[in-house]
Amino acid sequence: MTAVVDAPDPPGQPPRSSRPPLWRDVRVIRVVLQVAFAVAVVALISYLYSNLVNNLTDQGIRTDFGYLDRPAGFQILGSDFRAAQSVSDALLVGLSNTVSVAVIGIVLTMILGIIVGVASLSSNWLVRKAATVYVETLRNLPPLIVIVFMFTAVILRLPRIEAPAEWFDLAIWTNRTISIAAPSLDAGSGGFLLALVTALVLAAVVWIVRTRHNARTGQPHHRVALSGLAFLAVVVLAWSLTGRPLGIDRPEVVGRQLEGGWSMSANYAAVLFALVIYTASYIAEIVRGSIQAVHKGQTEASLALALSGFQRLRFVILPQAFRIAVPAIANQFLNLTKNSSLAIAVGFAELTQVTFIVIGNGNPAPQSILLLMFAYLFLSLVIALFTNIVNRRFQLVSR
Amino acid sequence: MRWLAVLAVFVLVLGACTGDDDDAADTPDAPDNNGEDNGDGPSETIDLVQDGESVLASVQDSGVVVCGVNDAVPGFGFVDEDGNFSGFDVDYCRAIAAAVLGDAEAVEYVPLTAAQRFTALQSGEIDVLVRNTTWTASRDGGEGAAFATTTFYDGQGMMVRADGDIGSIDDMGGASVCVLSGTTTELNLATVFNARGLDYSPLSFEDNDTLREAFIAGQCDGWTSDKSQLAAVRSAYPEADGGPESLTILDETISKEPLGPAVRDGDSAWFDAVNWAVIATIQAEEFGITSENIDDFTTSDDPNILRFLGEPDPEEGTVADPGLGLDPDFAVNVISQVGNYGEIFERHVGPDTPLGLARAENDLWTNGGLLYPPPYR
Amino acid sequence: MTAVATHPSGAPRGRAAGPPDTSVGPVGWMRENLFNSALNAVLTALFGAFIAWAAVRLALLVFVNSDWEIVQRNLTSFMLGRFDRAELWRPWAATGILAVTFGLVGGAGSVTAEQIAQQEGRQLPRITWRDRLRRFWPMALLVVVLLGFTRTIAPTLLALLVLAVGVVARSVGTRLPSVLNRFIWVVALLGFVAAVVVLSRFGGVGWDEWGGLHLSIFATGSGIVLAFPLGLLLAMGRRSSLPAVRIVSVGYIEFFRGVPLITLLLMGQFMIGFFLPGWIDAPSQLARALVAIVIFESAYIAEIVRGGLQGVDRGQIEAGQALGMSPLAVVRRIQLPQALRAVIPAMVGQFISLFQDTTLFFILGFDELLNVGQRVTNQPDFVGQGLQSVTLPFVAFVFWAISYSMSRESRRLETRLGVGTR
Repeated sequence: MTAVVDAPDPPGQPPRSSRPPLWRDVRVIRVVLQVAFAVAVVALISYLYSNLVNNLTDQGIRTDFGYLDRPAGFQILGSDFRAAQSVSDALLVGLSNTVSVAVIGIVLTMILGIIVGVASLSSNWLVRKAATVYVETLRNLPPLIVIVFMFTAVILRLPRIEAPAEWFDLAIWTNRTISIAAPSLDAGSGGFLLALVTALVLAAVVWIVRTRHNARTGQPHHRVALSGLAFLAVVVLAWSLTGRPLGIDRPEVVGRQLEGGWSMSANYAAVLFALVIYTASYIAEIVRGSIQAVHKGQTEASLALALSGFQRLRFVILPQAFRIAVPAIANQFLNLTKNSSLAIAVGFAELTQVTFIVIGNGNPAPQSILLLMFAYLFLSLVIALFTNIVNRRFQLVSR
Repeated sequence: MRWLAVLAVFVLVLGACTGDDDDAADTPDAPDNNGEDNGDGPSETIDLVQDGESVLASVQDSGVVVCGVNDAVPGFGFVDEDGNFSGFDVDYCRAIAAAVLGDAEAVEYVPLTAAQRFTALQSGEIDVLVRNTTWTASRDGGEGAAFATTTFYDGQGMMVRADGDIGSIDDMGGASVCVLSGTTTELNLATVFNARGLDYSPLSFEDNDTLREAFIAGQCDGWTSDKSQLAAVRSAYPEADGGPESLTILDETISKEPLGPAVRDGDSAWFDAVNWAVIATIQAEEFGITSENIDDFTTSDDPNILRFLGEPDPEEGTVADPGLGLDPDFAVNVISQVGNYGEIFERHVGPDTPLGLARAENDLWTNGGLLYPPPYR
Repeated sequence: MTAVATHPSGAPRGRAAGPPDTSVGPVGWMRENLFNSALNAVLTALFGAFIAWAAVRLALLVFVNSDWEIVQRNLTSFMLGRFDRAELWRPWAATGILAVTFGLVGGAGSVTAEQIAQQEGRQLPRITWRDRLRRFWPMALLVVVLLGFTRTIAPTLLALLVLAVGVVARSVGTRLPSVLNRFIWVVALLGFVAAVVVLSRFGGVGWDEWGGLHLSIFATGSGIVLAFPLGLLLAMGRRSSLPAVRIVSVGYIEFFRGVPLITLLLMGQFMIGFFLPGWIDAPSQLARALVAIVIFESAYIAEIVRGGLQGVDRGQIEAGQALGMSPLAVVRRIQLPQALRAVIPAMVGQFISLFQDTTLFFILGFDELLNVGQRVTNQPDFVGQGLQSVTLPFVAFVFWAISYSMSRESRRLETRLGVGTR
């Protein structure tokens, strides 16, 4: 198509295929089209933007971000945020709440999803059916209804603060707060912390040594047991040597609230559990499909090698299934993060609800919504980046 | 794929160009559509951003009042089984329609959330906001709203369980408090507790229904809201959970909450119309005129009443027109179709309703209340 | 917001995963499927106990502990929101039109699917009544429940009439001449538009007064229909060889897939009015929500269509070019027909997810199903009785029944259209 020779055509003769006229030259057309397209897009955006600015100034709505420094005027459940702090601080608290739901939710979702996914392939008919019913029920409900239902029908039915339910002093749950005991350190326990770090390093070293040993000789590595033992030994030794600084911070009822331990507000728990059981139904389907997609010959081969059922799953099936499932699972992580915005319906102060409150208190909506969208976009990008790394790490290197 | 790009470019360029052209043409010769040419489609559309025209004219043009309301406040604004809006606030939408258009049913209701209401008002989506909205200085100023005569004098209160150890807000250190988010109530809550040096856990909900569930389940020690709403909840508290006696509304009033209709700033004709529709209901009660007995008053001896009802003055023979842009007999429409203030109150929130509110501040000034209509003359 | 409800594997489920039925009799079956090892015996006992407990709780909830009066009395609100009760013939007429449309499209579609299967040498499984029942029992249950809540006989008769009309239309659809068959999508579009016209025009009820299930279905239908052309353009833009077009398309798709729908709906409510020049009226709340939905859905549809386009064999395109077809003809006659067929199941999945996302209207204060479920608890007869525990399960059931039937349908379409089997 492209002309090689750039010679003028002889006069009197119609131009041949050596060089098409300008308006039919593919390269020119491409450039012109793209420039026109870019100009059109820029024109459209700048037109909308100028409308926005005009309308906002006409109605006396501020177009700057100065409101972010004003005092917020409201308080947020489960944080040290106070009314005198600025709007931007409130938004940051909301962001951290969103991240907290997303991160913990992703971990729990994976655990539940893999269990249900494997259960839906169980040889036990009842287990298989139960898993299927779970998946088909949750997948076909709107997440918002799952959240509202989890809050009103499950969390609010927990015992009241006046008569909390307890489990061996280690966990307390009420319909305000759910708390479990947490390890606590006394003041001046720097030595113990140092020992903890040492133990971690030691465990890692043992792990690597055993793995190499296994790779070299083929003998069983027992790396989990051995490195765990090394870690425990150092920790226990250090703990008794440094005067037993590590205690247990038990939750207890103080006045009208639970204090101590690791605790989460009931509203947070509702959102977390609802999103976990909802998203896990999708993860379970992905896991099931990926396991089924692993070639049958692999199972047969591992049976021939006399691997146990657990070994077969752990070393043959799941690693391969995981590789197939990574992109789809990453998509569900994104969904979970975005669905956390529905927490607004049950009064959990994540980013969207804080933005709602900020707008409701007379702060300008356009800037607030813009910030909100970019915050979610940022979270999405972080998850995409992370899963890309995981994906690259797990993909087969094609030879 | 190239044809696609061509198409896209074409569409976008077209879109941008027409927009620009019209924008340019818009400013110099804005059409002066002042309701004269109301024959066909275009003139019916309400030009919202234009400064010159009052909403009053556009409402009279279109024949319908677009009223922003709440659909989830028992007694004040809710939707019945047949899909009709009902309640105290809703009746004021109807009163405004009766005054302006002569037909109380010529209302289009737009249910709004707390966060949306002022945007809806500013953007001209609604003509008037009658949605238990508190009259505050910053809303008058910053939100670009103008508040007409208060229809309901309320105060923010705190409701707690009667069997607890809370007798006043000072006992509420460390308490969990349920509150509707994005409201003045939420801001007042922070102010009051911080002023007293008390700590608290706020549970901010987007809607009243979820909040009520949380309170009934005991998730919060206190529920702060307008006292009228608290009374409504208390009176309807399920017997299974102890009934109304198991709840106490603390005596303290956290803040004043005058609730009334709001319109857009800078439209005095429309503001006057809305304002006097409200005043007419109060004035009627002061005169003792109800929807039942209004026919007896058209032959009254009292010139004040005759003037109010748009009847000719017996001595001069002329009908007084105060220049509100309303029909002289607008008050007759309001009272006969909607009722006077007392009737509206009794119908939706009074002692015979589930809310069972007493008149208290919302009684006429002659009975020691705050309702004091300016004279109609 | 929720992902496309397709399955990573097109493999049939349940039966294929289990062992073949070799044993005879219920005892043999139980030994084979429930007690074939000690672990399984324990699991069976545990799950059996749990399932029995859950079933008893559910039965108690449905038949004993709940007073369904609030649903019964507000059934019209659940279905239609604040729709003018004097105009109830309109929704029925619209339902009838939609039944005719679905019947025609379904009949014609099954003929097309058979033709395609024949061309590809596949044998389509016969559809038995058992299959239909497996797919549509939730929908049938929903209809029975709804009719059970009505207080007169008229709705039942009308529902039967609509069903009959749909069945007749389906058999007409299988006998359409092939010319009409090819343009069946026009019929689908016309049917939807006609339903909207019957509802809203000629003295009808404007869409701002719509609510309940009706609003959810309408918003989903128009959202998908309006977003599809834009999604198609974006998908092609993303595969364009022009970098500028590609960058803009990718930017659009990735941006709107990266944010939750609720933020876009908020933008729609608070900002769309500001983006318009002063001489345009502010669109109504619902119109702005629809704009937000179209912006959002087109990004997702673009990705679905892109998947379909990528599935088209390059050899097909090259064959078309070799035959001297213009680029436009290659797209229109080779790429699109194959790609669009391949995306139908995924589009049904997207439809389900949008249908579920219409619950977000609740946060905007629209009168959709979830909002009706909450607001009816404020009526004087029901206020303060904690009746959300009755209305919420009802709302959840409505969503579940419709979504479940449709996801079953999408799975069936996968096999019938041969998607993922080649």
